[in-house]
Amino acid sequence: MSRPGARPRTLRILAGACALPLALAACGGGSEGSGGGSSTVKSLRVLDYYSNEPDKAVYQKTLEACGQEIGVTIDREAVPGDTLIAKVLQQSSSKTLPDVLMLDNPDLQQIAATGALAPLSDFDLSADGYAKGVVDASTYQGKLYGLQPVTNTIGLFYNKKLLAAAGVKVPTTWDELRSAAKTLTRGDQYGIAFSAINTYEGTWQFLPFMWSNGGDEKDIATQQTADALQLWVDLVKSGSASKSVVTWSQADVNDQFKAGKAAFMVNGPWQFPVLNEVSGLDYDVAVIPVPKAGMPSVAPLGGETWTVPQTGDASRQAAAAKVVACLNSDANQLALGKARQTVPTKTALLKQFVQENPSMAAFTDAVQTARSRTGELGEGWPKAATKIYTAVQAAMAGGKAPMAALQQAQAG
Amino acid sequence: MTSTGRLTPLRPATTWRRRSTGAGHTGGWGSTAVAVILLSVMLFPVYWMVNVSVQPGGGGAVATTWLPLHPDLSGYGKALSDQGPHLVTSLVISLGSVVLSLLIAAPAAYALVRFRIPFIQLILLGILVSQMVPGIVVANALYSAYSDLGLLNSTVGLIFADSSTGIPFAILVLRAFLASVPGEVIEAAFVDGAGQLRTFVSVVLPMSRNALVTAGLFTFLFTWSDFLFALTLTTTEDVRPVTLGLYQYIGSYVQDWSAVMATAVMASVPAVVLLLVAQKYVATGTTAGALK
Amino acid sequence: MTDIQTPVGGGRTFAHRWQRGAAGKSSGRGARRAPRWSGRRRERVGQLLFLAPAVVYMLVFYGYPVVKNVVMGFQEYTTRTFFTGEAPWVGLANYREVMSSAIFGKAVANTVLFTVGSIAGQFTVGLLIALFFHRRFPWSGALRSLLLLPWLIPLIVTGAVWKWILDQDNGALNRGLRALHLVDTMPGWLTSTSLALVAVVLVNIWIGIPFNVTILYGGLQDIPEELYEAAALDGATGWRAFRYITWPLLRPVVGVVLVLGVVYTLRVLDIILGLTGGGPANATQTLATQSYQLSFVEFDFGQGAALGNLLVLVSLLCAVIYLRANRRLVDE
Repeated sequence: MSRPGARPRTLRILAGACALPLALAACGGGSEGSGGGSSTVKSLRVLDYYSNEPDKAVYQKTLEACGQEIGVTIDREAVPGDTLIAKVLQQSSSKTLPDVLMLDNPDLQQIAATGALAPLSDFDLSADGYAKGVVDASTYQGKLYGLQPVTNTIGLFYNKKLLAAAGVKVPTTWDELRSAAKTLTRGDQYGIAFSAINTYEGTWQFLPFMWSNGGDEKDIATQQTADALQLWVDLVKSGSASKSVVTWSQADVNDQFKAGKAAFMVNGPWQFPVLNEVSGLDYDVAVIPVPKAGMPSVAPLGGETWTVPQTGDASRQAAAAKVVACLNSDANQLALGKARQTVPTKTALLKQFVQENPSMAAFTDAVQTARSRTGELGEGWPKAATKIYTAVQAAMAGGKAPMAALQQAQAG
Repeated sequence: MTSTGRLTPLRPATTWRRRSTGAGHTGGWGSTAVAVILLSVMLFPVYWMVNVSVQPGGGGAVATTWLPLHPDLSGYGKALSDQGPHLVTSLVISLGSVVLSLLIAAPAAYALVRFRIPFIQLILLGILVSQMVPGIVVANALYSAYSDLGLLNSTVGLIFADSSTGIPFAILVLRAFLASVPGEVIEAAFVDGAGQLRTFVSVVLPMSRNALVTAGLFTFLFTWSDFLFALTLTTTEDVRPVTLGLYQYIGSYVQDWSAVMATAVMASVPAVVLLLVAQKYVATGTTAGALK
Repeated sequence: MTDIQTPVGGGRTFAHRWQRGAAGKSSGRGARRAPRWSGRRRERVGQLLFLAPAVVYMLVFYGYPVVKNVVMGFQEYTTRTFFTGEAPWVGLANYREVMSSAIFGKAVANTVLFTVGSIAGQFTVGLLIALFFHRRFPWSGALRSLLLLPWLIPLIVTGAVWKWILDQDNGALNRGLRALHLVDTMPGWLTSTSLALVAVVLVNIWIGIPFNVTILYGGLQDIPEELYEAAALDGATGWRAFRYITWPLLRPVVGVVLVLGVVYTLRVLDIILGLTGGGPANATQTLATQSYQLSFVEFDFGQGAALGNLLVLVSLLCAVIYLRANRRLVDE
């Protein structure tokens, strides 16, 4: 599979450094089965996108600890988020894929479809006890390709002081949301801020509204989806939300909420560290409102999954699988969840987690009913995601009627 | 039919230059004032960048005031400690790229202007076509090659890659400038017994200092602000230009804008210094002196 | 090129002989080499050596990517291809799909508007500023170099800063406009489908001005002062001096600036992505951004390459026009 002479430099150096005759395993031409388990793996390459603090340090520590447990050093590369897939593709074509690869969960299906990943069942790893949505995202054609230690989702943040001052209760239905946002819009303060940007982030934010109302990504030109889109359009039209939502990313939305320019915002728990630093900001999180009282709030599942690419070296892949398993251990799930404001994926740990991290209660609840983005469409998800944000933009910025916008986007 | 024309027919071109267009203003502090106003309008975004870099609390669109009333230099502290070595890397790569580009482009531009070489039009077209290729196409192709050659994460590799934007551009610009070097000066050198290379080095190059500095300047700026090759052709932090270093403050969810802006401001300083130094050489026309 | 060569002094015959590129003859005249044919040969090799490093570099760094891109336009190149190496030939299917997509027409229109608007703005303002700085006044050198600052700033920072300035509610521009009572409602620079393209063009002009100013200024500096003086004696100053001296002598430089400007602008990607990402609702989607979207967001590299190749074809057309015009200049 690998071209002779294209083996990564690190392996060649390793061969020279080791006293054992490692020519079998390390020299050009790959070692699929030829070296078997005879070569000792000294280091593993890891690729992820936690390129900024505090995630970078958290994962560095965790990876190094796992590496020590297994007896390898970790050679880690952390790239900026947007560039991960491009890097993976480059490495695919030059046959320099890392030993352990982190992927954002909706990307796993596409990459698995190319054949670049090894099924984890080969290494006796399974996803028993994990939340269903999480397993769906990491499964391709019935086989498990990745294990995700922690997940997150989005919720409705609210500014306690502003709500108390206006005597507004935390909304649980869409109608309550509409009126609460309207009441809290005054001066240059908007009632609510969310992200309707023309990227997958905008789609991600729209999903809870679409799914909670019964909409589905297989065909978005349905009345349920149109009603959800209508909610967003109404919020902007009535002035409760700024017109700029079509240009805001979730980080921008957070900036608005931080500065007190929005009383509500739709965002995720990763904002806790930033928000906690703002003096005088008293906030809390609720589950995203549902269309009618009693319906479940279906939010999308976030988080990253860890995979083992096909590098052609059986012993390295086995070691890599051990690292993946270690990352997903109970202790690590709880530790990562606490350090990164994310929710462990093993359902058995959730009770303990909420006890130790009460601020994450709303998100932990949401995760139980949450859904993965790629569960239904698999590799067809990116196209559907594009259609969703195209329709949202057309309705909100382009002035199209929601149903017409959805129909046009669905048709492609 | 201006009086100045009749009175001063042969005044050397030093401080007083008559205007080709314009309202007949004289140079002087009035022009300076206009220039300053012009620059303030043009550079307002740059001011804003500096403004955000000293804002407390990470900066951002929402709460930024016109003037930084409570300046907070923590962004600079962070930027300095993190990005210092990256700045040096950027500087080394940019200067290296300038040297390489001029070394390759100057003789080529000269040849395209002076020599009777077949397929000149084709070569020119090829150079122009190269400018049309999206950088990302080149970067992806280079990645595989560099990976095989072991040039990833190397300063030399980046110098060669970044020159790919500078060289075609330098050839085109130098060619346009060299076209205006009068033939008789070169003739004179030939008559004096100088060979082609000698003529080029001792006669043409000094005369086109203006053009060389312009081309070199742009190559420096292209390389200084390159992000694509830095991202694609490095996998570790060993060799990391500051444009890539900037990204460590821009996460998927949280952005530390004051650190980003502080880095950008710091990154601009060496380049500005170089600019101010270089502009002295672009100041005077060169051929005028040679003919006298 | 010939029109600039006629020197103010004498030596015209020498110049003409040189113009005809009689390199071989000149070596004979110098009588430095004994047998004429070997001297010519060595001369020619010497000349080619001037050109060789550049040609080699260009072939290595551009030849392969260009060819690969052209070929990719005819293949079905997706994420799968990166791993398996298989890219089935699909002929013109990519081109057909790309050109019949709903966004294509809009992207073409946006590209034309964006390019024409940017070049017109950049060049005009750049030329005016260059002419203004052509005169000497205190600090002119330093101020002129400071003009290059917009170029020094990393594009991601430029995009972010302009995004803040253009923000509808809190941006500096709207705050300023409101303070000066120039508008009633705050224009949605980046949120309104009608204004977004205008905003993006304005930012691109801002970025492009330093480039134009510097090159045009250098070109202006190279025009000998004696020509102006001689013309002034004949009574031609101001607009006439510009028309008969400045403009013709500036033409080669203007040509380069314009053609490079068009080629670069057609490729502009980062600034549009940074400001609007092609939105809102595809209002600022150009062929370049659409090509990027196809390749790096939807990972359909075949289609992205097809669109990219169309762009290159358009640039090629402009380049050919430039070369024709340039050749005519030489013949004049």
